[in-house]
Amino acid sequence: MKRNLLTLVIGAVLVVIFALLLFVFQVRKSEVAVVTTFGKPTRPIVEPGPYFKWPWPIQKVYKFDQRIQTFEDKFTEDFTADNNNLLTMVYVGWRITEPNTFYQKFRGGSVALAESQLEGMLRSAKSGTVGRHSLSDFVNPDEKQLKFDAIEVEIKDLVQSQLQTNNCGVQIEFLGIKKLGLPDSVTQSVFDRMTKERELLSSRLQNEGEADAQNIRSTANRKAAELLASAEGQATRIRGEGEAKAAEFLPVFQQNPQLANFLLRLDALDQSLKERSTLIFDQRTPPFDLFQGFPTNRPNR
Amino acid sequence: MSNGSEPNQPATPSPVDSGSQALAEALRSSFAIVKLVMIVLLAVFLFSGFFTVGPQEKAIILRLGRPLGEGEKALLGAGPHWAWPYPIDEVVKIPITEIQKVTSTVGWYATTPQQELAGTEPPAGPSLNPAVDGYALTADGNIVHTRATLSYRIEDPIRYVFDFVTASNAVQDAVNNALLRTAAQFKVDDILTRDVIVFQDAVRKRVNQLVEAQKLGVIVEQFSVQSRAPRQLKQAFDNVITAGQNRDKILSEARSYENQTVSRAGADASARVNIAQSDRTLLVEAVAADAARFKGVRAQYEGNPNLFAQQHLVQTMGRVLTNVSEKIYLPDRADGKSRELRLLLNREPPKPKTEEVR
Repeated sequence: MKRNLLTLVIGAVLVVIFALLLFVFQVRKSEVAVVTTFGKPTRPIVEPGPYFKWPWPIQKVYKFDQRIQTFEDKFTEDFTADNNNLLTMVYVGWRITEPNTFYQKFRGGSVALAESQLEGMLRSAKSGTVGRHSLSDFVNPDEKQLKFDAIEVEIKDLVQSQLQTNNCGVQIEFLGIKKLGLPDSVTQSVFDRMTKERELLSSRLQNEGEADAQNIRSTANRKAAELLASAEGQATRIRGEGEAKAAEFLPVFQQNPQLANFLLRLDALDQSLKERSTLIFDQRTPPFDLFQGFPTNRPNR
Repeated sequence: MSNGSEPNQPATPSPVDSGSQALAEALRSSFAIVKLVMIVLLAVFLFSGFFTVGPQEKAIILRLGRPLGEGEKALLGAGPHWAWPYPIDEVVKIPITEIQKVTSTVGWYATTPQQELAGTEPPAGPSLNPAVDGYALTADGNIVHTRATLSYRIEDPIRYVFDFVTASNAVQDAVNNALLRTAAQFKVDDILTRDVIVFQDAVRKRVNQLVEAQKLGVIVEQFSVQSRAPRQLKQAFDNVITAGQNRDKILSEARSYENQTVSRAGADASARVNIAQSDRTLLVEAVAADAARFKGVRAQYEGNPNLFAQQHLVQTMGRVLTNVSEKIYLPDRADGKSRELRLLLNREPPKPKTEEVR
């Protein structure tokens, strides 16, 4: 009896497992799926988890990666509004949002097919957008005039609406410009222009340097002259003060101008004959006037 | 094992049927082996659910496709864990502390790793082929080469693994885009010389914005940008640098001239003021001394002016004459006529004046 029960239980478990394998499938977190009934998509599944289905010839399950895939298009050349040739390349992050429409649109959900469709849409969206903008919208030192981000949004919106009208079951998550370029021949003329700019810059630097240096030197000379002049002024003022102070003694000397005069002359004599000097004097010069009347070697008259 | 011994009971009384008994015995033992194998298999099945998470990683269990737990709670840290074996559970391990690196070269000319290592560059043609050589367009419509290296860490593993097929590509494209977008806003001189750091920071800011907007689930750790002028224009750019250096040299010469001149003038000026001050002191002192002397001798003089004059004149002459090196006495001619005197002046050059101390 026990044996029968055990066999029964094991058998039941096996049957359940088998049935589960047939009737249940699981959708992983990173996936979306579509269930087809006799080849026609009937049930889209976008949430992960276990799901029921009828076994094989009736229903089939197709699973797709629903994570964001990055795709970049070709580097293509378009005319800007101001007739410049501009090469652009964009990258796109896209994901499958509606598995059933995606399955129908791209014959069994081929990612390669979807990408080639996307590339075509990008091609036209890009040339349309580039044609509406001038080159200065792509590169501009003024942040307000730079329309880089607006252009990206414009392309994205164009592609997004295309995807919607074409019923692709795909959504663009982000889009950005990956590469900008100019045609080969244009780069050469850009180089020529840049060379000219550089030469201009070099000569300007040189001239500026010389002018600035000149300026610094002349300013220095002016400063020096000013310093000396003000010092000279100060010196004169100080000397003046000294003379004024000396003049305060004038009344003293005025008490006897004759004596003052005499003393001054004495001092002058003292001063003038200080250094090596030769003095020629005759008998009237005191104290040699003492020699007067002394006999000389000549016969006196 | 009561069920196993059941078929034995009818067999014991009739040992004749030893063949069937051996068969039963064999059956019983093989049945036991099968059971043992089943138990072992079950144990192995359950035990295979053990897994360990390393210190550098996190793990997420997907039960029937759905992550177990929400947000942060779904992440299993380092240590041993257990999950049901596939197909019930699936373990996804994500390296988390590992620093990953992406490089953006859309703005760089075609080069090979060998050339990079050797520090050489491919010869420059007259122009840039857009299919091969990358570059960025600057705000003033010039061409510049720029590239960036970024290292990042996964911050939101669930987002990083379950929302992107290859998140590193998305990060790389964000860097590409940031370089182009930022270069489109900077002038060539700012990128190359004037605002190198500002440019790098602006690119980094843009990368962070994109990472945030696109929810890439990463944190930027390190970021560096390298920029250079096109190889074709190396000479022209070098000339500008040389011109800049020349200008700096001229300017610094001018500044040193300025320093010298002004400081010398300052020294001169203060010397002049000092001289004036000492002159003033000397003058005042001298006049004061004279006045004192005047006061001292006045009474004497007024007593007998002639005698006083004689006395002082002679005193002074005496003093003066000791200083005079040559003295020539010239008496009057006997006839009272004045003499004619001829001098041949041939003086030694004056002694160099020693600096006077004032």
